[in-house]
Amino acid sequence: MLDPYQLTLHSLTLRQMASAEQLADVTGQPVADVETGLEKALADGAVLSARGSYMIGPTGRSLLDAAYPDAFAALRAAPDVAAAMESFETGVNQQVLTVTTDWQTVEVDGSRVPNDHGDADYDAKIIGRLCRIHEKLPKVLAPITAADPLVDRFIGRLGAALTRAEGGETDYVSGVRVDSFHTVWFQMHEHLLRLTGRERPE
Amino acid sequence: MSPTSTGFRWLVVPDDPAAEPSRELVGGKAWSLWRMRSLGLRVPPAFVVTTEACAAWFASGHLPDGLVAELEAGIRLLEAELGRTFGGTQRPLLVSVRSGAAVSMPGMMDTILDLGCTDAVEAALAAETGDAAFAAEVHRRFAGFYGRLVCGCVEDLEELPTLDAVRGAIAAEGASVPRDPWEQLHAAVAAVFASSRSRRAVAYRRHYGIPEDLGTAVTIQAMVFGNLDDDSGTGVLFTRSPVDGARAPYGEYLPRGQGEDVVSGRVTPEPLAALATRHPAVHAELLAAAECLDREGRDAQDIEFTVQRGELFLLQSRSAKRTARAAVRIAVALVDEGAIAPREAVRRVTAEQVRTLLRPEIGATDGAAVLASGTAASPGVATGTAVGTPEEAQGNPGSVLVRRSTSPEDVHGMIAAVAVVTEQGGATSHAAVVSRALDTPCVVGCGAGTVEALIGRTVTVDATHGHVYAGEVATTAVDEGADSDLLRLTEWAAAATTLRVQDSGPEPAFDADAVPLDELGERLPDVPPGTRTVRGALFTGPEGVAAALDAGVEVIVAAHRLPVLLAAAAHQERTR
Repeated sequence: MLDPYQLTLHSLTLRQMASAEQLADVTGQPVADVETGLEKALADGAVLSARGSYMIGPTGRSLLDAAYPDAFAALRAAPDVAAAMESFETGVNQQVLTVTTDWQTVEVDGSRVPNDHGDADYDAKIIGRLCRIHEKLPKVLAPITAADPLVDRFIGRLGAALTRAEGGETDYVSGVRVDSFHTVWFQMHEHLLRLTGRERPE
Repeated sequence: MSPTSTGFRWLVVPDDPAAEPSRELVGGKAWSLWRMRSLGLRVPPAFVVTTEACAAWFASGHLPDGLVAELEAGIRLLEAELGRTFGGTQRPLLVSVRSGAAVSMPGMMDTILDLGCTDAVEAALAAETGDAAFAAEVHRRFAGFYGRLVCGCVEDLEELPTLDAVRGAIAAEGASVPRDPWEQLHAAVAAVFASSRSRRAVAYRRHYGIPEDLGTAVTIQAMVFGNLDDDSGTGVLFTRSPVDGARAPYGEYLPRGQGEDVVSGRVTPEPLAALATRHPAVHAELLAAAECLDREGRDAQDIEFTVQRGELFLLQSRSAKRTARAAVRIAVALVDEGAIAPREAVRRVTAEQVRTLLRPEIGATDGAAVLASGTAASPGVATGTAVGTPEEAQGNPGSVLVRRSTSPEDVHGMIAAVAVVTEQGGATSHAAVVSRALDTPCVVGCGAGTVEALIGRTVTVDATHGHVYAGEVATTAVDEGADSDLLRLTEWAAAATTLRVQDSGPEPAFDADAVPLDELGERLPDVPPGTRTVRGALFTGPEGVAAALDAGVEVIVAAHRLPVLLAAAAHQERTR
């Protein structure tokens, strides 16, 4: 496990240019703890800040790279974790990227054009596909969830994005400036890669 | 009520044009079926189990008294209309079972197709169609639907290759598909009822304050087959061209085709004209139906149909997908036809579609060297200096961000960059998804060495075609003032919003481009209180327009008026 200070640094690799509140939302830590961690990190030269937003710097990255192998040694050695990660990459992760692409663009006469969201059934089917992936996710990631409590938090945040998307807030499928399904998924994917020490496959 | 449907306690048969059923009782989908029938269009026969039966099911925990007998009576009506038998060993009847509430409610059960399939029915279907593979496929698909939707299996049953594999996966989760078609039907109806209180459906209603006890109706509709004989087939028809919006029906027909055959691209269908040659009467009926649905729907329709033994059945009609060019043409044409008001035309065209139309295209490359090529993932053209880190992209406005692949740490750089290029990944990578969401030109999968080859140089990214050129290459732009459809839409959009889009505006003004990018990160800038005019690229996208309007801004300064006006009209309508 990462200690609270390392976890705060780690969260900046999942969400750059973030406030303490936003980072606390990613990790579930109390905001005060995140603030304490960020103050220490600033003093250490591990992070940079501008107007209440924080960014991780080279020192912070080195610190994390040194911490991961110890913190996740047991997890990285477990064969069921490796199998789960393989299944994640080739299964649900590919599906999510394909489905979000189908959300953004539709095929007309052989070429992809922007989805104008004029066909509510089409949109509902896409969100339905994301919901099915979301329902399958706990099973796919079970060996990792057992070893790392943060994964469950991501699954919960994905569910919150889906509920808003279903209510017509279409930004919550793939929007960049909100915690959309894709934004949270992108963060979770990065978290899993760092946890398991794998290279990004794309 | 028609004579055949009187006396039912739990069912409605939506076949009488004079008896409009209540949406609360039968749900939106069954109401649409009734609507099509009342227009004189032929749809496969159907009946509905009402929302009252759903309420009774929840009250008692079992199918309400009398429903089992009424389901049988309902099925007998479908059998009589089509001359087929449910569970029969000759000319078997299969049905679809779908949920439908009065208001759209996510999380409820998807449609089960081909219900009523058993080993005996499969054999009968194989004999009737002369196509054993088709019959086996129907059975496999049905088992997949049933396993997932009724038994609640989480496996991707649809992807399993054979019926035995599907049955095995269902058995592994301790369930099975009943061999009795009536038992299938009862369980499917109960599963639809139960799905109206699924975790997702309940979460949705709680979030949006919809009554928690809102139940669902169940529509049971006969399946029709396009592969029974040479007088059968299936096809699709667009009432207007989805490419340029021209008002001319076009479509495809596949003789002896069934269901997904046309959409899947597995076989090559004939043009619709072939149907006119084979079956002139069916073709004429189809075109008349298309005209009717286009007029009634007040929009271009995408219609799925099946011809069963020379008889036309309309399966589905919905608003057609279209290119940006077609969206503009269709919206303006519908106003000219008197089908919709100008205000509605403004709703029908999105800001993103107009941005697509106005997007500059690469001009003459004059032999400019191609430095990299990859997959065009988010279209557009942009020129800038290539940089290798998100921090540099943020510190140097107008940069092209070049990465091996992208992680969440790159997002703030992607927001700042004029274009994104990656070495790895395809059209469905994270980089592609984020770039499309930002409407930033993006070329992915350019291969190893691209970062080193580009960094430090001025490059032009043609993300419409997937090339990166050395230096600045000229672009050609569409003039929104030279296109009469765009001009008229602009006039209508300006009337639909209080926002003005012009070259300058009253003070105090706020310029987003003057805010250093590294102060913004992934956020939009805060508009100072009292600001009347804003300028800067951030305020031309939908999120920026919404933020400006929420801050009380009166004027946005932008080069292209229409996309901003459309975004403003949409936002003001949403928040009114």
